[in-house]
Amino acid sequence: MYRYILKRIVMTFLTLFIIILLTFIFMHSVPGGPFTREKELPPKVVEALNKKYHLDDPYPKQFFDYLKGLVQLDLGPSFKYIGKDVNDFIIDGFPVSAKLGLITLVFILLAALPLGILAALKNGKWQDAFVMTLATLGVTIPSFVIATMLIYFFSYRLELLPTFGLDSWKGYILPVIALGGYSISFIARLMRSSLLEVMKQDYIRTARMKGQTEFKIVTYHALRNALIPVITILGPTVAGLLTGSFVIEKIFAIPGMGVHFVESVAQRDYTAIMGMTIFYATFLIVMIFVVDMFYLLIDPRIKYE
Amino acid sequence: MKKFLSLFISLVLITTLLAGCGPKQGTSQTEEDTPKSNTTETTEAKEKTPEKEQTTQTPTTETTTAEQKIIFALHDVPDGIDPNVTNNSFATPFLSNCFEGLVSINEKNELAPALAEKWTISEDGKTYTFTLRDNLKWSDGSPLTSADFMYTMERILKPETTCQNVTMLTDYVVNALACYEGKVPFDQVGFKAPDEKTFVIELMDPASFYIDILSLFIYCPVQKATVEANGDKWTLSADTYVVNGPFKITKMNMNEAIVLTKNEHYWDAANVTLEEITFRMIKDQATALLAFDSKEIDGMRSVPMADFARLKAESNDLHIVPSYATSYYLLNNAQPPYDNVLVRKALNLAVDRNSLIENVLQGNAIPAYSLFAPGYIFNGKDFTEGRSNYGLSANANVEEAKKALAEAGYPNGEGFPTMKLSYYTSPQVKLIAEALAQMFKENLNINVEITNSEWAVYYAEVQAGKYEVAAMGVGADYLHPMSFAPVFISTEPTNDTGYGSKFYDEKIIAAKKELDPEKMLNLIREAEDILMEDYPFLPLYHRSSSLLMRDYVQGWTLSPTGNFCFKYAKVVK
Repeated sequence: MYRYILKRIVMTFLTLFIIILLTFIFMHSVPGGPFTREKELPPKVVEALNKKYHLDDPYPKQFFDYLKGLVQLDLGPSFKYIGKDVNDFIIDGFPVSAKLGLITLVFILLAALPLGILAALKNGKWQDAFVMTLATLGVTIPSFVIATMLIYFFSYRLELLPTFGLDSWKGYILPVIALGGYSISFIARLMRSSLLEVMKQDYIRTARMKGQTEFKIVTYHALRNALIPVITILGPTVAGLLTGSFVIEKIFAIPGMGVHFVESVAQRDYTAIMGMTIFYATFLIVMIFVVDMFYLLIDPRIKYE
Repeated sequence: MKKFLSLFISLVLITTLLAGCGPKQGTSQTEEDTPKSNTTETTEAKEKTPEKEQTTQTPTTETTTAEQKIIFALHDVPDGIDPNVTNNSFATPFLSNCFEGLVSINEKNELAPALAEKWTISEDGKTYTFTLRDNLKWSDGSPLTSADFMYTMERILKPETTCQNVTMLTDYVVNALACYEGKVPFDQVGFKAPDEKTFVIELMDPASFYIDILSLFIYCPVQKATVEANGDKWTLSADTYVVNGPFKITKMNMNEAIVLTKNEHYWDAANVTLEEITFRMIKDQATALLAFDSKEIDGMRSVPMADFARLKAESNDLHIVPSYATSYYLLNNAQPPYDNVLVRKALNLAVDRNSLIENVLQGNAIPAYSLFAPGYIFNGKDFTEGRSNYGLSANANVEEAKKALAEAGYPNGEGFPTMKLSYYTSPQVKLIAEALAQMFKENLNINVEITNSEWAVYYAEVQAGKYEVAAMGVGADYLHPMSFAPVFISTEPTNDTGYGSKFYDEKIIAAKKELDPEKMLNLIREAEDILMEDYPFLPLYHRSSSLLMRDYVQGWTLSPTGNFCFKYAKVVK
């Protein structure tokens, strides 16, 4: 078991190194640089900027200098925002994104699992059709459409909730719904099909034969196994939720870190691109690892050697 | 329903944004909706703006008990708010309200004393001597003296400070360039502080518009103590952001909200009424508009294009201020067939500027026939008054255009290579590009291939001269026609036009050295005439800038160069 964990850790660093290297290469091969701004800068200023940020060094030196900083958890200075470090993006933005993401996650689980179970148990009945229609809508309508419609009706028309920001608990309601819409639908569908599959298994029939109550069969025997695919998908979902969504954060004017994922690329803010990529990659790898550990809890048959 | 539709259109715009891998908001600004950085206010604006604007702009004298607080939505984050370093237009709401230089341009668009109480200019026009006001203070209460100016100028001339507008010093001040290049020490540069209240600037050559340049943010002093203690990071927190303007920052989270409160140490604090401004960052314009409509905010800087027509028709809160700026297309003068003046003339004649303005810009601009925008007033007369329109008109002149193209050797467009028309990814610029392509096809029978790329790629290619016909724009840094001139000066490193005329260069150099302001303006006019004889580019329109502000917020100013100042603003309810 410990060997397995050790192996995973080594693999993690190897994966990260490859991600860093590829990002570095792709980033520098895209035309345009970080100092192509709103207005043309005089050549001598661009020269000074290149010197200040060591962009005049050869690529291998830049790359290894970056790695050196990274070992000390220093993601370097942003090339776009004067005086800001990429670490600041994470320190300022991650708590905001993560809080919203966690609330959304709880909401997703509370909504998706009961809906999926209901649909599976009432397979073919109107409850099933209702949940599946809802889920299809949730998967197909993009989050920004949901977000804009929510703002229009609840903030503008009914004036019940704030249009933007997370200044009070009310501010969380609309972003959480918009952010969770897709995952709720997806996970509810997954839960339903997975539970249906499990309910056809022999051991469920055996349990029924032994005269156990339907409630106990579902909660004790069926759910455990049916949850495995759901947990698998939760890994990347959690990573995505906690690191913030560009679209939702933009529409609701939330000061999270999602915005940096897209804007840093458009601005060729090299260190920010690297920093965001590494942060997300690490987060994702850790989440997948956590998921793998969860399997052990859920299913005693699974063992890692 | 109409509102819902417009909402949907903005959704589509978001999608395009995502599909285009997110063009930086700022880039689309460059051409279309925001004016560029720096200085000055809005006399000229008043002449052209609708009546409702004027009433709002004029401060009322009645005393008021309304709470002097406003919330205003901004739509993009500046690269920084260090007045010496940035020239980003998104920084102006902060810099205009937190910093002041020696001089500023007042709400009537006149140059006015600011930190300097008065100044004298030597007879040869090369030495400027400023006397600072008594008891000037930084926002932390410490005294502000000429030593602060000396420190600031020395800081700017260090390359590692990376001041984006550094040429505003190095082009004019004695030895400033040499000092920047490390050839002479700072004490040999033409900045002197003989005593605490006196600051002297010596210029290499006389330049009567230099006083206008001094109102640029780069010339605002910064406090040595905080800059030295905090380095690059002094602008990042409210505690270390020591300022000298009407407002100081008391809460700073650039991605969420920045709160400005009245600076009691400001020399003119007695005339500042507003107690608090909250700049809330709302990047999505549709959200901001809904927040404005549901009265959560008092104003917003950027009006969504899709809603413009509706707001213009039914809202009293929409304010339109002409920008001191010109939008145009570059024609690559270094590349055939655009090296032929007749081709360039034909293209200029074939464009229906009115149609672009009415159909794409919702009437929010005026046709441009040259580089220099209206807005500079001398002796009560606009610089552009009485100017020729260089044979161009608001509507297309198809006959003349065809004739010019035939003369150039392409009768009815025959033999003309397919034109490569490029623009940077932005919904509005796209519409203009498509309209232009159609005009060239219909009026001149020229086939057009349209391409676009995100700003970072696009601008790099334009700078490298890799384009045929390309969307571009210029916003003046300071309110003087000279601010436009460098676009076509052959020796300017930032001239991307492929055009160079020694006659134009000579006239501009002569104008720079001319001490008599009127003669100087005449020289610029002559330079302009020389320029437009060659039709080196395709001027389209002089744009306007718009914002939404509730009618109870009065006395604010938005200048043609983009300064957005709340010094005299107040809430009257």
